[in-house]
Amino acid sequence: MNRSIRRLYQTLAGGFALLVLMLGWWQIVAADSLKRHPLNQQTLQAEKLIDRGRILSADGKVLAASRARRIRGQRVFERLYPQGTLAANAVGYTSDSRGKTGIESTYNRYLTGSFGTEPFLQRLNLKEKKGADVQLSIDTRVQEAADQGLVGKTGAAVAFDPTTGQVLAMASSPTFDLQQAVTNFDAIPTDGSPFINRTTQGRYPPGSTFKVVTATAALESGDFTPDSRFNDTGSYSTPGGPIRNFSGEKFGENTLTTALTNSINTTFATIGDALGPQTLGATMTAYGFGARPPIDLPDDSVLPSGRLKDNRTVLPNDEDGEDTARIAIGQEQLGVTPLQMMMVAGAVANHGVLMAPRLMQRIVDRGGSVIQRSQPQEMGRVMSETTASELTTMMENVVRDGTGTGAALSSAGVTVAGKTGTAESSDPNRNQAWFIGFAPAEAPVVAVAVVVENTPLTGGVAAAPIAAAIMRAAIEAR
Amino acid sequence: MTARTRELGFMVPAALLGFLGIATVASARTDSLDLGPVAGAIGVLAVFIAMHITLRLRAPHADPYLLPTVGVLSAVGLVELDRINPQLAADQAVWMAVGGAAFIGTLLLLPDHRVLERYTYLIGLAGVGLLLITMVFGTRINGAKLWISIGGGQTVQLGEVAKILVVVFLAAFLRDKRELLAVPTRRMMGMPVPPGTALAPVLLFLGACLSLVVILNDFGTALLFLGIFLAMIYLATGRVAYTGFGLGLFVIGSALVYTVVPRIQERVDNWLHPFSDAQGQGYQLVQSLYALAQGGIIGPGLGKAFLVTANGNDVIPVLETDFMFSAVASELGYVGGVGILLGFLVLIQRGFVIAASANDGFSKLLAGGLTAAIGLQAILIIGGVTRLIPLTGVTLPFMSYGGSSVVTNFVLVALLLAISHRTTEGNTPSRRRRREAEDAAIAELEAS
Repeated sequence: MNRSIRRLYQTLAGGFALLVLMLGWWQIVAADSLKRHPLNQQTLQAEKLIDRGRILSADGKVLAASRARRIRGQRVFERLYPQGTLAANAVGYTSDSRGKTGIESTYNRYLTGSFGTEPFLQRLNLKEKKGADVQLSIDTRVQEAADQGLVGKTGAAVAFDPTTGQVLAMASSPTFDLQQAVTNFDAIPTDGSPFINRTTQGRYPPGSTFKVVTATAALESGDFTPDSRFNDTGSYSTPGGPIRNFSGEKFGENTLTTALTNSINTTFATIGDALGPQTLGATMTAYGFGARPPIDLPDDSVLPSGRLKDNRTVLPNDEDGEDTARIAIGQEQLGVTPLQMMMVAGAVANHGVLMAPRLMQRIVDRGGSVIQRSQPQEMGRVMSETTASELTTMMENVVRDGTGTGAALSSAGVTVAGKTGTAESSDPNRNQAWFIGFAPAEAPVVAVAVVVENTPLTGGVAAAPIAAAIMRAAIEAR
Repeated sequence: MTARTRELGFMVPAALLGFLGIATVASARTDSLDLGPVAGAIGVLAVFIAMHITLRLRAPHADPYLLPTVGVLSAVGLVELDRINPQLAADQAVWMAVGGAAFIGTLLLLPDHRVLERYTYLIGLAGVGLLLITMVFGTRINGAKLWISIGGGQTVQLGEVAKILVVVFLAAFLRDKRELLAVPTRRMMGMPVPPGTALAPVLLFLGACLSLVVILNDFGTALLFLGIFLAMIYLATGRVAYTGFGLGLFVIGSALVYTVVPRIQERVDNWLHPFSDAQGQGYQLVQSLYALAQGGIIGPGLGKAFLVTANGNDVIPVLETDFMFSAVASELGYVGGVGILLGFLVLIQRGFVIAASANDGFSKLLAGGLTAAIGLQAILIIGGVTRLIPLTGVTLPFMSYGGSSVVTNFVLVALLLAISHRTTEGNTPSRRRRREAEDAAIAELEAS
């Protein structure tokens, strides 16, 4: 019988060997994919056991932090958002049932301590899992100026340093309280869609702010100069119907400069047709239209800008047969995000070089060592320095003499350059009021884009003052 | 070094493991060291020392590795249980004391296990009887009728006791009929078939197993009994053909059962596609797999894995019983999981060595059957939680929460040790025997 005994033992041992392999499969080979499984709550809950890193503003204010608690003898961490609604859409929340948004999502790996050699040392239990702190370039003083400006309105404002790409403020209105999002999400009122980050997700008709893009293309083509002459008869005919100026004004003789100052539609429509889809499209592409701006926020909250089909898909920038006259003045189903328009202003401000917008400034571990420092990244040269300089002068005129006087900071001795926009709809009370600009014009430290939704006012009246406050706060914060 | 000294030596690391574990769990629980569970741990240690002393007195030649291995497995199980639910751990410690008493009782009352041979059919009937009692008086928990309430919120699983009785019965019966079974007298459908008198009880047994499934809805125990049965037939006859035939019958039988019993269908479907109904039917298994993944290679450590939610519920349902292995592998990682598997492997290896060394057929079959029972049970449940096979509701010996399981498995080990002792003692004559043999030899010499 002993042989049978030995055989039986071998069979059972074989069974155990299979178990060893099977266990190894789940715990080693397939472990990663299991952990990332969409239904897996355990990874989420395991994160609650980790001392999550903080999110800080550039001026050192704590935007998000973790606090330890004991539940049934186990140490768990809960998330606190001491600044409430400040930059809520940008910072984002991390919640059990609703996942993660904003910076909490983008930098989750660092915030949970899973970076570098940390995981290995933590496995050996030599180091307790502590997340690293993420410091943003958002300055609370600039952010407050943006938040204040949008109080009671629906819209967005975003500002960055055009020489480095670091975002200084990102405001969306209406917004929500981050603390409430993690404690009592359902109590947050949903009217006005507060969870949408309008700076990166909201697409609006740009109105006359798009003329900056057209002017860029015009100057770069070599066919036009700031002094090129046009004659405005109050109407410009196109196959799609006549194009008129705002409020039906007639300006008569004008130059490219004065056309921008006074936002003359007919002139720019003429220029648009003269340039044609290829040239205009190339400038749009250079500015980043049609592509998702490379900002460090989750993909589903950042949309590309451009000509929209069905309000959703973005068409190529240079399609044949497009109505370039209307595109040139910011119409024709153009849907642009405030972030994109800020990038337009930024390229002009930075002598023609477009910098990639970034929220993260640096990541520091709990011991104080810097793990990552954000480096300025060039997206490309959109225009020559000469063109940028010429455009700057033209945009200074807009603010000094033209539609953008609401954005002037002359009392502070600062020269502002910018462009207004008022995208009209069939309802005169529902304009999308825009302002894009930068300051100080001679050596810019901030470029901004502001849009106020569904207002009876113009860009110069509704949006420009908000932009002024933001730019002033940015200059003072330095 | 005598066997018992060796055993004592191995019990030291087992005890240390237990205490270290309890301390780790306690310190993970609060910031300061909580010495409460240490008292319980000392109690359990005392139980094991009592068992060791009984062995010294009653079975000094028994295998030295069995008790320490049981100690390690029990220690890990108890520590993990304490981490999940200290109240249950306290209960389990008490049951271990009862198990220890049963262990000691077995060794004291059953010095010669061969007396069991005399009561073959009685024991067999008792086994079936216990199952019948469960059928009649049992309460349905989670769709299966395995338990009988004995008041005070405690339940007993008579099926566990029946397991041992059935093994004893089969060991005796097969030993008797061994020759008959080994020589087939007829052929049926081209297969060698043993005579009816030998075959009839065997087929009856098979029928009883399948009835278990249908009436009690206990897929796991039926599978276990079938496995034990096939293993013992193989040990007794040495013919793989019978095992093959039995397996064939099993496959046909389970296919039939599958089409008829919805619960079995659920289990098999869930095994094949656990994620297709991850929130409903598949929840247990899926959560178990997630927990294993969280464990990784060396695990986050005792008390550090996510096994209990913030409001006190278990992440994996029935964590304390069916999924105890997942809990350990989740906290102690692959290293811990393989450690447990190796622990069981050592256990069954020693059991089979005891069987192989035994001098008579009954002892061999008894030891082999008991060992196969433990081995199969471990494979069944660990296989289920790792998705090697469909999930069944058998307990993990020495580690799952459950008084009946603890007590019966302790008795099982006591039987193995008794067999082991008797074998070794039989092989090494006692001093008196040696003297008697010497005296007889001298007398013979002088007579010639």
